[in-house]
Amino acid sequence: MALKDTLLYVGKAVIFGLIMAAVFLFVTPLLTNKDASNLFIQKRGDNGFELSFSKAVRRAAPAVVNIYSLSVNRNQPLNTGSLQGLGSGVIMSNEGYILTNYHVIKNADEIVVALQDGRKFTSEVVGSDSITDLAVLKIEGGNLPIVPINLDVPALVGDVVLAIGNPYNLGQTITQGIISATGRNGLSSGYLDFLQTDAAINAGNSGGALIDTSGQLIGINTAAFQVGEEGGGHGINFAIPIKLAHSIMGKLIKDGRVIRGALGITGEPISSVMAQILNLPDLTGVMITGVDPQGPAAQAQLAPRDVITKYEGEVVPGVEMLMDRIAETTPGKQITMTIIRKGKYYEVPVTIGENLSADEQ
Amino acid sequence: MKTKLSLLSAAILTASLTMMPAISQAAIPMAVGGQSVPSLAPMLERTTPAVVAVAVSGTHVSKKKIPDAFRYFFGPNAPQEQVQERPFRGLGSGVIIDAKKGYIVTNNHVIDGADEILIGLHDGREVEAKLIGTDSESDIALLQIKAKNLVAVKRADSDELRVGDFAVAIGNPFGLGQTVTSGIVSAMGRSGLGIEMLENFIQTDAAINSGNSGGALVNLNGDLIGINTAIVAPGGGNVGIGFAIPANMVNNLVDQIIEHGEVRRGVLGVSGRDLTSELAQGFGLDTQHGGFVDQVMTDSAADKAGIKAGDIITSVNGRKIKSFQELRAKVATMGAGAEVEFGLIRDGDEKNVTAILGEASKTTEAAAGAVHPMLAGATLGNSDDGVEITDIAQNSPAAASGLQKGDVIVGVNRSSIDDLKSLKATLKDQQGTVALKIKREKSNLYLVLR
Repeated sequence: MALKDTLLYVGKAVIFGLIMAAVFLFVTPLLTNKDASNLFIQKRGDNGFELSFSKAVRRAAPAVVNIYSLSVNRNQPLNTGSLQGLGSGVIMSNEGYILTNYHVIKNADEIVVALQDGRKFTSEVVGSDSITDLAVLKIEGGNLPIVPINLDVPALVGDVVLAIGNPYNLGQTITQGIISATGRNGLSSGYLDFLQTDAAINAGNSGGALIDTSGQLIGINTAAFQVGEEGGGHGINFAIPIKLAHSIMGKLIKDGRVIRGALGITGEPISSVMAQILNLPDLTGVMITGVDPQGPAAQAQLAPRDVITKYEGEVVPGVEMLMDRIAETTPGKQITMTIIRKGKYYEVPVTIGENLSADEQ
Repeated sequence: MKTKLSLLSAAILTASLTMMPAISQAAIPMAVGGQSVPSLAPMLERTTPAVVAVAVSGTHVSKKKIPDAFRYFFGPNAPQEQVQERPFRGLGSGVIIDAKKGYIVTNNHVIDGADEILIGLHDGREVEAKLIGTDSESDIALLQIKAKNLVAVKRADSDELRVGDFAVAIGNPFGLGQTVTSGIVSAMGRSGLGIEMLENFIQTDAAINSGNSGGALVNLNGDLIGINTAIVAPGGGNVGIGFAIPANMVNNLVDQIIEHGEVRRGVLGVSGRDLTSELAQGFGLDTQHGGFVDQVMTDSAADKAGIKAGDIITSVNGRKIKSFQELRAKVATMGAGAEVEFGLIRDGDEKNVTAILGEASKTTEAAAGAVHPMLAGATLGNSDDGVEITDIAQNSPAAASGLQKGDVIVGVNRSSIDDLKSLKATLKDQQGTVALKIKREKSNLYLVLR
């Protein structure tokens, strides 16, 4: 009897334990799957699990469009226009806003946007910005596929990424690689701020999507800065980070262009030698090296060798932060800067001007 | 007793949970064989012995007409042509698909014109190979070697592939020795590239270079999904755009070559075009992908199966097709006599029909290019009084020669032509310029092929 009891208890315990374990095993993958990075691992057939990016591709790829920019020969008005530029673009919203590269649609007389489902639209340019090489187009259509986007997750070096575009007009192509390097996301950002990737990007990929393994947009590919004449094949390609692209897009939709503030100076970081010569307390700040005689800085009596330490009360750690703050300031607004001149601190009011260099290019 | 019970439960629960890592490791190939570092090595250990180096040697014969200016010096008996024989050597890759019989698949362009084919096995052995059969239009060739202890690759169902799946290329680029590169499937059903006559490629960003041709594209299980064949290379080297012939197409071709020693091309008997968004709109269709049927040949397989002009073919054997070219490549490589189910859209309704593919009357469409290079792009068929051009591709050499649809070739130079067989035989012996006697509507004319 004792034996039977023991067996019964042991048996119950075993069954209960196994059920709990089974439940735990079943639930754990569901929990971990919420982690976006695991979304590309999916069950397939009876062979168990298999690695594939197809889920991410299916989420993002329909929103990546082919862009053909046509130039019309004015001497032959009946001519339908010759293909002048080839690129890709990404549908960002229901309203039909599309992000692409400025160089894809530059000088185009007519822009044709082709969706992966075969639909074709003639498109208008909402606005463009040559400094970041971005442009926003708009198409009028219902039921548009939109790319998933998450602005809060920064791309990190080593992340697996997929590039989606239309290289050499072959048709939509997905290539895979990793983030090789990252840059900044500030508004003054120029070419140095790109995401660098070894995913194959070729002519025609420009303006297309760089997505992560969960299908979310992390950058806009640009093939404009390739090494060598032949282009591609070096594993060094660039994309504009989505945070920067998204903020530029907002400005382009609002104003049709990106309005950047300007101070009219050139500056450099404080070297330890300069800190000694100018008798500075530390290395924070930006030393003015040149002043545009017609610029706002000249009007505020700023001069070379002045050191800007604060901008609107905020400590200036270096050149990049100052450039971003100036660019973000609405032209015409008066701000206060703290400068050090000959060892003494001054509060200087400056009326910020507008940076028009983007329009000249 | 209660505490005992829960203690015991907890112990077993813990024991089960500690087994978990082992279970999940077995499931995800990132950690095959208990390795914690993601590596393809365990898969490749099994797969690489099935990929071989293919070394060929032969002689290119090129004939050049000697310019009259030179003939002047040699007198009237001087030869009209200068025959140049240039020995060549080539390197490529191949894949063992049947270890017992020693069958090796490679690209036709790797072994084209070779007098001698030498296979370099993974273990260092070198074996001479016999050419069993070849298909220049799809660029597939089948070789056979006699050797023991071969390792063959398993073939996957390439129709199951999805864009985004991992792909691993194994081959012999630049004759460096066996090289493995990895990437993903970039696109499926790629056609219209003008690389081969029949195109239905898998596109991949795995690095493929010269010498990879004929090598294997495998999935993460090490199963063959394609034969690497071509790349887009603006600068000469890989830019992440490579093309492989899908395993299912290879299977169809290899089966035919093993059975007949050649590919017996299947013929459906339709001509058509890609379904464009304009056509789709005009017909009020939801779908944007498929082949639009312009014309159905009388008594053809399509005719018998009830396919009509104006139908849109959307699938082949349950697999969606993107373009007419993909349809063409699939049908042509399926082999004569194959029973194929086509999905159609007619008047807005979907329906399925089954056709038994006809046999190409030896010389057809693609093979027209083999009859004479300037006939490439024409579809030839026997007619009452000669060989009729039943179809002609725009911008093809045949169209550039001035041939039109409906033309009937009734003679070559001075000999008359009755059927395809005699046309083939006559043109085979002709060197240099050929004059075709054509019957067009009610008039006769001559067209010169250069």
